[in-house]
Amino acid sequence: MTMETIVNAILCVAVLLASVRLILWHRASPVSGIPFRLILLLILQPVCAFLLSCSLFPSAETQSGRTLRVATAGTPRLAGAAAGAPLIILPEAGAISGGEAVPDLATALRRHTGTNSIALLGNGLPPRDLDAARTIGVRFAPPSLPAGISDLAASSVVAPGAAFQVGGQLNGLPRASVDLIDPAGRVTDTTRPDSEGRFTLTGTARAAGTTAFTLRVQQDRRTVEQADVPLIVADYTPPRLLILAGAPGPEVKYLRRWATDAGYVVNSQIGAGGGIALGDPAIAINAATLRQFDAAIVDDRSWAAARGALMAAARDGLGLILRASGPLDAATRTQWRSLGFPLSGQDALAPLALPKTDDTAIASTRHGIGSVDSPVDIASPDELLPDVSRIAMMATDGNAPLLQDAGGAPLAQWRAVGSGRIALFAGVDSYALTLTGHRALHGDWWNALLATVGRPVAGAAAIATTSWAGERMALCGLSAPATVEDAGGRRTTVLPVQGCAAYWPVASGWHQLSPKGEARPQSFYVQPADALPVMRAARDRDATQMLRASTATADGSPERESHKGWLFPLAWLVATALLWWLERARIGRRPDTQSAT
Amino acid sequence: MSGAAILHHWTAPARKRAFLNAMAVGVPFAIMTAAIGGRIGGIATLLALLAVGLSLTTVIALRRATRHDRSWLIRSLDAQRPDMEDSAALLFADAASLGPLQALQQARLADRLDADTPDRLVSEWNRRLILTLWSGALIVTAAMLLWPRLGEGPPSLAPSAEGLPAKPGIPRLAAQNLRIIPPAYTRLPVRDSAALDARVPMGSRLEWTLRFDPDASAPRLAPLGALPVMLRRDGQHWIASRSADAAFLYRVDPAAGRGPPPPLHRIDAIPDAPPQVKAITPATSLSTVTSGQRSWSPVFAATDDYGVVASARLRTTLAIGEGENVTFSEREIGISGTGPARDRRFAPHLDFGTLGFTQGGDMVVQLIVRDNRSPGPQEVRGPSLILRWPSPKAPESSGLTGMVNTTLPAYFRSQRQIIMDAEALLKQKRRLIADRYLSRSTSIGGDQQILRGRYSQFLGGEQEGGPELPTADANTHGEGDGHDHGLPAQPAPGFGAQEDVLAEFGHPHDDSPASSLDPETRAILKQAVDEMWQSELQLKQGRPDLALPYAYRALRFIKEVQQATRIFLSRVGPELPPIDASRRMTGKRDGLASRPLALAPVEGKDGPAAAAWRALGDGPGEIGGPIALDGLERWVRSEAARLPDPLALSGALDAVRRDAGCNACRAKLRALLWTAMERPPARPARRAPADANGTRYLRAIDGGTP
Repeated sequence: MTMETIVNAILCVAVLLASVRLILWHRASPVSGIPFRLILLLILQPVCAFLLSCSLFPSAETQSGRTLRVATAGTPRLAGAAAGAPLIILPEAGAISGGEAVPDLATALRRHTGTNSIALLGNGLPPRDLDAARTIGVRFAPPSLPAGISDLAASSVVAPGAAFQVGGQLNGLPRASVDLIDPAGRVTDTTRPDSEGRFTLTGTARAAGTTAFTLRVQQDRRTVEQADVPLIVADYTPPRLLILAGAPGPEVKYLRRWATDAGYVVNSQIGAGGGIALGDPAIAINAATLRQFDAAIVDDRSWAAARGALMAAARDGLGLILRASGPLDAATRTQWRSLGFPLSGQDALAPLALPKTDDTAIASTRHGIGSVDSPVDIASPDELLPDVSRIAMMATDGNAPLLQDAGGAPLAQWRAVGSGRIALFAGVDSYALTLTGHRALHGDWWNALLATVGRPVAGAAAIATTSWAGERMALCGLSAPATVEDAGGRRTTVLPVQGCAAYWPVASGWHQLSPKGEARPQSFYVQPADALPVMRAARDRDATQMLRASTATADGSPERESHKGWLFPLAWLVATALLWWLERARIGRRPDTQSAT
Repeated sequence: MSGAAILHHWTAPARKRAFLNAMAVGVPFAIMTAAIGGRIGGIATLLALLAVGLSLTTVIALRRATRHDRSWLIRSLDAQRPDMEDSAALLFADAASLGPLQALQQARLADRLDADTPDRLVSEWNRRLILTLWSGALIVTAAMLLWPRLGEGPPSLAPSAEGLPAKPGIPRLAAQNLRIIPPAYTRLPVRDSAALDARVPMGSRLEWTLRFDPDASAPRLAPLGALPVMLRRDGQHWIASRSADAAFLYRVDPAAGRGPPPPLHRIDAIPDAPPQVKAITPATSLSTVTSGQRSWSPVFAATDDYGVVASARLRTTLAIGEGENVTFSEREIGISGTGPARDRRFAPHLDFGTLGFTQGGDMVVQLIVRDNRSPGPQEVRGPSLILRWPSPKAPESSGLTGMVNTTLPAYFRSQRQIIMDAEALLKQKRRLIADRYLSRSTSIGGDQQILRGRYSQFLGGEQEGGPELPTADANTHGEGDGHDHGLPAQPAPGFGAQEDVLAEFGHPHDDSPASSLDPETRAILKQAVDEMWQSELQLKQGRPDLALPYAYRALRFIKEVQQATRIFLSRVGPELPPIDASRRMTGKRDGLASRPLALAPVEGKDGPAAAAWRALGDGPGEIGGPIALDGLERWVRSEAARLPDPLALSGALDAVRRDAGCNACRAKLRALLWTAMERPPARPARRAPADANGTRYLRAIDGGTP
């Protein structure tokens, strides 16, 4: 028996007693009065009691009649004890008594028809309930997040041997250090987050396959959180590369060597002047031949002759990488500027800031084992710095550059042209990197350029969203029913609706999506249910907040409902005053009472 | 009895006692310290400490004995002999200086003196102290000699922790000890390891002492990938020994494969590191002789993990001379180092006079040290230090053009060649017929003529017939042959330009390259050319014997010229002359054609490692996949040099082979395989094409119709 019912019972008894007393008093009265006063008094008694009850217990039903309180993950245990609108408990909320447990929000809304707003407790609604919540008003005060990894983004699919980056954000850990641990258990990169908690780590892949790195957050030598960073290493078809150079030189030589060793289909056309060409057998540069290439690396000396054909091919999808062999002449500068590249300032070469050489232990984890042909090539900190420079003209223009040197100066920019892309590489003599133990950096630069601008190839997009075991996830890009196989070998058939299918992973680990008819299955990783709790809470919170922003104006604002609560005490006061006045007033009494006084 | 006799007679016993007393106290001290020192530092320390202790004791004892002198005797006699009547001093007084009463008293005392023996004055033995010290010394010495040394005597076994389930009837390892005896040269102590995994110096002797429960019948040590070693019974223990020449994995197999496989143990052999040589002074590799310096003492430090041999060699290379005329001499000097064996200092003293180091020369020294590894000490050459003694003649960069400097040495050698040719011809004179002899002599004369012509050019001299360049393109040299002949003669605008007859029809004599030579050099060069004239004359007449003296004189003069002008090649500055586009592609281009430059890619071979890594993955379709363990094992053996830790990989492989269903073992092997893979040269990830909306957007921003 709650306090509310006890008070209501007392009020009912009081009304009953008061009414009996009124009737008795009226009968006992020597003068029979006019009955309408008695009737008014009898009516006002229960009204007064009802209004008192409402002022004491302002229930949601009485406020608006259509509000629910919803407990989500992270709701305090004692939320059920607080009075208010009916409490709905979602599965994530855990064991909370004094409410109605429902499997999801839509069920709750079906059971409580007419609900037009909900008040959320806890971290916010999971993705499952977001669609249901869009139809109603949502009141949500976002709680502050606990300390931990609040965001983690990894490149899900990388090429064999490629360097990849893991970015993320920490919440509430200002002195933490973040380590990336490779599958062999060695720390392969370590960093400290910036003032906003953001960090970026670099690792390197090996052979094709699926693997998982580990991200470890430590504060004061104590591990705060640890998370899997899944990585799919997939082989791509090697790009067909055209290298055009106006003169032979070491840069072209080492570019050819790098591209050939990496397995590209390379065709290099190196002009030596006077119609003499070195490299591969000469080909004509026209639309038909350029269609056979995915990317072309063109220097400023060969640019002028092939400009028209190259630009046309770029509009058609060819990736064009322009590189300077030295300071540019006026014509080339104007032409490149008209392509949209920010070339301004002094026409000279500027020194290029190279990243600091890693600690030997960390550097050795980035390289694989060496071979007879190419032994491990690690630059030591006290070694000679290579003589690499960049053209000083390239400026920052507000867009994120494709490549940056260690000092933040832009090294490469790209622009879209038709369905192709053009990049401008500002580095000069990058070959010197390969001779001084920075071979990996040379490869990373040119790979980044080719990956960004190269001709696109059709293929299924990777499934990059982070998902948790036991939570619904969407698999998109499907045209027909497909099979999902989890790490334990369980197979599930998913049915796509409008290209996307819902899937509830049961176990964590690697899953494989095999669309029927398509040869190449896709792998995706499901995090364990208890992994990355802060990131999950942040996701729910942010999604719920966006929900509220979109619905607050459409439905009745919650502020007005809270004002209604004040009406009941006011009405009660008015009613009580009226009652008191009626009891005392002379209206409806006999005039003889006046003579009696 | 005279005073001296009395003194000797009465002090001798006391002195003797005092000496013996002191010795009896001091000797046990010396023995104790010697015993302790001998235990710590060995027999040499023992003997040294004993000698020092005994001599110190003797010195102290002697000092104690000499304290018993005349004044002591007088004091003692006065104190102990009432019949001396406090006048014992009179016994030693000079009789002549005494008064009659004093003399009488002296005589009385002398009579009474012998009433007692001197032994009464002797001090007592320090019995208690001597007894305590001697017994203490005995105990300490015995303890020092008998206290067991680490690694000697029977080892104490530690309980085993292999964690295998007990099965009735199958022996299990119950207790173990691994004794590590490092090679003698390391001077490391023998140690006992309770664990069966150890890191030991390479070449150590390993001795296992094991006990099994229940007792085994034929236990063995089974190294991975090698033949098993049978254990020998030694009382209730089993023993085996082996030397650690390389790292290896092994397991103790008590039941010869009947029980569950025991875990692997790992012995790591730490190789002896080669010594490190560092130059301490001078700090830079190149230093210059200061004025007045007569000797040089560079200091090297040589460090090693076990010890550097005290004797080293210093390789000294002297470069004496200038220009082309530099002679090198190399010698090795034996030097000895100081300091502890692990960090030795070598400071050779190099005297310039003894070495023959003179001005204008370079001295390069390099220390060659060896460590004490046996067999096969490791030899290491340290950094080279250069000491330069600058020539008093500073390089004359002014007044000499680059052309003179660069061409003179080349032709200088040619004169020597002519002499050598002429001498060779003289030797062959008897075997040659006259015509041939003459023609060869003439041809040498021709060479001499060319050379003379070249030198005449420097003097601005006229050349008869114009000496030709001894290079291949000499004949075709002229305008339009495809290379630079300097700027074409341009009429300079200005007064008198049209009348510049000299430039058009002749050439000024002082405009030759040699006109900038100083007069002395010019004079010498002229003498050289004169001698060449004579030499040429004789050679062309078929008389090389007569030509030789002139040729030699010419050579000497040229040498003088050469020494007067130091070779100075100025660095080409970073500013290249601007490219003259009008002259591009004007040269001869015969035989130049396009050609392909073939390029073969480097083959990366991850082979079985990557395949096994994929097969061991935990994704769907991969778990339980067949793993080519044999191929992988062969690959690990063959590529051991490339792999960071082949032993750990072999161990993990063995674990997977024994229990294919062990997920932890598979995960460990997969982790180790990650370290054993090459990082292939990356191919870029290919971007996906834009979808319909994206394509429309891109077309729109490109100015096309959406």
